[in-house]
Amino acid sequence: MPSKSTHTAPDSQPSEAVRSAGRRHTPTVNARMFGATIKLAIRSLLARPLRTILTGLGVVLGVAVILAIIVTNASTLDAVTRVFTEASGKAHLAVVNANTKDLGFSEAVLRQVRAAPDVQAAVPVLQGQAVLASDSPDAEVGLSIAGFGRGGLLLLGIDPVADTLAREYKVVDGAFLSLDDGAYEIMLVKNYADEQDVRVGNEIDLITGADRARLRVVGLISKEGPGLLNNGALGVIPLKTAQDLFARNGDVDQIDVIAVPGSSQGRALESLKAALQTRLGSRYSVIYPATQGERVAQMLAGYQMGLGMFSAIAIFVGAFLIYNAFSMTVVERTREIGMLRTLGMTRRQVISQILVEAGMLGMIGALFGLAAGIGLAGGLIRLMALFLAQEVRRIQIPTSGLVISFVIGLVVTLAAAAVPAFQASRVSPLEALRVRGRSRAGWFARHGWTVGVALIVFGLLLVVVRLPPPLGDHTQDAAVMALLLGAAFIVPKALTAWERAVRPIIRRLYGDEGALGSRNIQRALLRTALTVSALMIGVAMILSIRAVTDAFALDIRTWIERYIGGDVWVSSTVNLRSDLARRLNGVEGVAEVASVRYLDVKRILPEGTHESLSLMAIDPIAYTRVTSFVFTSGQGNPERMVSRLAGGEAIFISSVLAEKNKLKRGDTLRLLTRRGQHDFEIAGVVVDFYNQGRVLHMGANDLRRYYGVNDASTFLIKVQRGQSPAEVQERIDRLYGRSYHLTVESNQEIRERAMRLIGQTSSMFDVLALIAMIVAALGVVNTLTMNVVERTREIGMLRSLGMTRRQVAKMILAEAGMMGVGGGVLGIAVGLLMAQTVIGSMNTMAGFSMRYVISPQGIIVGFVVAVVVSQLAALWPARRAAQLRVIEAIQFE
Amino acid sequence: MAILKADSLRKQYTLGGHTVNALDGVDFAVEQGAFIAIMGPSGSGKSTLLHLLGGLDHPSDGEVTLAGQALSILDDTQATLVRRHNVGFIFQFFNLLPTLSAEENITLPLIIDGRNPRQQQTHIDALLALVGLVDRRHHKPDQLSGGEQQRVAIARALVTEPAIVLADEPTGNLDSKTGTAIMELLRRSCDELGQTIIVVTHDPKAAAYADRIVFLRDGLVSRELAFERDGDRGTRLMAIIQTMERLEN
Ligand SMILES: Nc1ncnc2c1ncn2[C@@H]1O[C@H](COP(=O)(O)OP(=O)(O)OP(=O)(O)O)[C@@H](O)[C@H]1O
Ligand SMILES: [Mg+2]
Repeated sequence: MPSKSTHTAPDSQPSEAVRSAGRRHTPTVNARMFGATIKLAIRSLLARPLRTILTGLGVVLGVAVILAIIVTNASTLDAVTRVFTEASGKAHLAVVNANTKDLGFSEAVLRQVRAAPDVQAAVPVLQGQAVLASDSPDAEVGLSIAGFGRGGLLLLGIDPVADTLAREYKVVDGAFLSLDDGAYEIMLVKNYADEQDVRVGNEIDLITGADRARLRVVGLISKEGPGLLNNGALGVIPLKTAQDLFARNGDVDQIDVIAVPGSSQGRALESLKAALQTRLGSRYSVIYPATQGERVAQMLAGYQMGLGMFSAIAIFVGAFLIYNAFSMTVVERTREIGMLRTLGMTRRQVISQILVEAGMLGMIGALFGLAAGIGLAGGLIRLMALFLAQEVRRIQIPTSGLVISFVIGLVVTLAAAAVPAFQASRVSPLEALRVRGRSRAGWFARHGWTVGVALIVFGLLLVVVRLPPPLGDHTQDAAVMALLLGAAFIVPKALTAWERAVRPIIRRLYGDEGALGSRNIQRALLRTALTVSALMIGVAMILSIRAVTDAFALDIRTWIERYIGGDVWVSSTVNLRSDLARRLNGVEGVAEVASVRYLDVKRILPEGTHESLSLMAIDPIAYTRVTSFVFTSGQGNPERMVSRLAGGEAIFISSVLAEKNKLKRGDTLRLLTRRGQHDFEIAGVVVDFYNQGRVLHMGANDLRRYYGVNDASTFLIKVQRGQSPAEVQERIDRLYGRSYHLTVESNQEIRERAMRLIGQTSSMFDVLALIAMIVAALGVVNTLTMNVVERTREIGMLRSLGMTRRQVAKMILAEAGMMGVGGGVLGIAVGLLMAQTVIGSMNTMAGFSMRYVISPQGIIVGFVVAVVVSQLAALWPARRAAQLRVIEAIQFE
Repeated sequence: MAILKADSLRKQYTLGGHTVNALDGVDFAVEQGAFIAIMGPSGSGKSTLLHLLGGLDHPSDGEVTLAGQALSILDDTQATLVRRHNVGFIFQFFNLLPTLSAEENITLPLIIDGRNPRQQQTHIDALLALVGLVDRRHHKPDQLSGGEQQRVAIARALVTEPAIVLADEPTGNLDSKTGTAIMELLRRSCDELGQTIIVVTHDPKAAAYADRIVFLRDGLVSRELAFERDGDRGTRLMAIIQTMERLEN
């Protein structure tokens, strides 16, 4: 493949450079020169289509991953907040119970809100969980890690007259609710009704925690606006009817506020919000409707961080592919460049020539990358939607995201090409006369390892020390990046020694021609080193992700095994009346019943702000008879702690909360209750990962006194000795399953399901590792193809000496095998280190108590994957090398 | 018996509907131990002929018989093996492996053949002595001069004791003094080792080392010269130059 650009360059161009050297250029000369530069760049890109494509792929990949992650994050966040915004429709503000959203407040507040200045309308809402009696009980309780979307049917009690001011219901069949606000009427979302085979005019039976009732379906609404709530499993009923069904006479959960036109936005709305808040007092919270999505958004942040780290790696690999290609272009064109220099091209012109090429490739690649990114985002969003149990219908593509990923793509391309461009500018005119430019090992290859060692030390240091405040949350990312980069810097130095050590093994596996290939590792050292680094990163990711998820799973398993105590679990999508406990106690074979109630509560932080926590209320004595608390070690007598909890005015907190807030037994924690702010003594620290460890335990008596809650979410049952849990489960289901709409599960079933869920979460991360590996494979293909092209003549010579096609292929495969083994071994080392770092910092930052377990399985898998991937990726370049025609190869220049 | 034979050898290249007859029916036989030079103007088909003789490429028509083996019926691997065991190539650009030392480069054909170079150490030492590189044996190619690199290439071509050595302008990239040394070396390997050699060259001085000169023109043998084996080099040179001049007119 002769380089055409020299032959086809416009004749006037170099001489012009000569003539104009040493004096200032006029703008027209500049423009003309730039035009010529662009032309040369295009020709040079077209002259080597294969390389141009491989390089472009690097840009496409980097840009695509960045954009995909931005789009995924924006879209999921949008979907989550949209539900709340659309459901609250035209409301500007909402009033909710300050203590806990579950509890609601008296509808008398409505009058107070309506009387406030600048309030145009105030609309009450009461919500509750119900199930269709005809709907068979779920076979299993919904255990979603994200805890979003509870299943069952959400009932929205509204004022049929006033509500239309706030929300738009699009009735697609039948009619809107009648004006009789005590009528037993319901509107359903069309999709849901279709699923349940319900039509307008039908009567349906509903079960709530408190009651069972028959309602007539008067209309169907479309799945938009409020119809989006609970993913469409929504029934709209008159407020009075809702109060009846849930036995909450005179209660509402939320008041949606519509401001007068002048106060509906910006400052004015803010001051209305403040005014309402003072008017209503601290027992109520005046909020913006969209902020209700915050809890979910908070939870998403963790995943977003992980994805962010992933885009850093994608950029790294993309930059590597680009660097690779351009440095090769320079080596290959040494003569051409030397010739241009003899014709009077300045160093600066050489640099700009290369950079213009890079810039063009960067722009085209980035454009393709944007398209690919949106495609990739489609897949990622589907994954997230599955994970959140929340439909994501609209793909949000922020303009800033497009710009950012495009610019990053372009800048990284230019940066990666800058080093080769500089090298090119160092080519002396004399080198045009030499047969072949010699490439010396650069600074990076010779001294990079010192930087590498420093980076690794820095990375390890970050395990113990946190970064200063603005970066504090990224300590872990920084540690991982430092370790990866550090290792990448050490690779070139390590490679030569490593090759010599392993060569005998390679000779064994691939024969003498293999040993030749193995030696080739030392050439194009940087390129090889980068490929090895890419493989290393892939393996390190596989390994560390495995190790972290394994450690996490182990931790969670210990917790689940104790936490999911008892033999049989009874739960429902609706809250259960506590008198059900007595009935369950009467079932033959039941030894003990403990009720559990979950509630969202607000904790008052020392600064005065508050945070949401989950509260698990139990009767401590009954609970310990069925199962046991898992206390963290070194706290003293468990029995005394349990009786302290039973004594009241006390709580247990999770180890996660304890670590994060530096709290211990004997300290107090302030909660917002219906009796105002109240301090509770911390009677113990327990291991509990419910709601990511943001959980408290409280006695049932305190729950009644401070929150007025008396029902249950779940009953844990212990069977009598000698009784089979399966039979008891069967009996409970037969007696009460249908009438109370219960889900009855054995301990075993729940455990298995929880573990399965954990497995699914881990496998989502495994997908990331897989992608990293694919990227590394791309790197191997790229490097080996470049090597083959670069050594075409050499391969021709070897063939003329009697090397068969097979031997040539084996030589290339051996070279790849060498990289694979190198990447595998290094990846294992770095992966183990990384796993320890991540686990270490997760423990200190989030208060987990994960133990680091080396998984031999992960090590083997990582190593095998590196070797197999390198061999598969080498097949094509090896084939290409073997198929070279000897004559052409010999004449290749 | 001829160690190498070419029968009405033709090679055509088609480029954009245009057919070039690089070789247009060449008959040619080489006796064991002969030293032959091929000469001719640029584009006359010298390299093409050499490639066909060495089994690097297939003729469009005709047959090459190397060491009693007809090459046309062989597949690529078989042809490669015949080449490996019977032919040594020397190129204008020395084409050494930069990762290997001089000595390792010389043993490369043995390595490719799966043989252990150690067992032939005396042979290799003798070759190093022959090309005068005993004290350079551990140098890498980029630490050797062009002439030294070409000497390594010659030793490499001789290491398997092939039936025939084919050299395409081995002095083309060297100054005349170094070129002379290279030709001396080839001459010695012919005289002392009985090596059969074919050299393509433009240089009449280099050609004067050969016992037989084959002139090509437009893909055909236009003329042959044969000399006494121990004839005077000066007279040879005169004869060659005269023939070249005559052919040009
Ligand atoms: N791969 C090819 N495709 C097309 N034509 C070719 C090819 N290789 C050689 N030729 C043509 O065949 C003819 C003979 O080429 P060859 O290389 O054998 O000449 P040569 O005598 O070695 O010339 P030189 O002294 O310049 O090396 C030339 O006209 C050349 O253009
Ligand atoms: Mg030639």
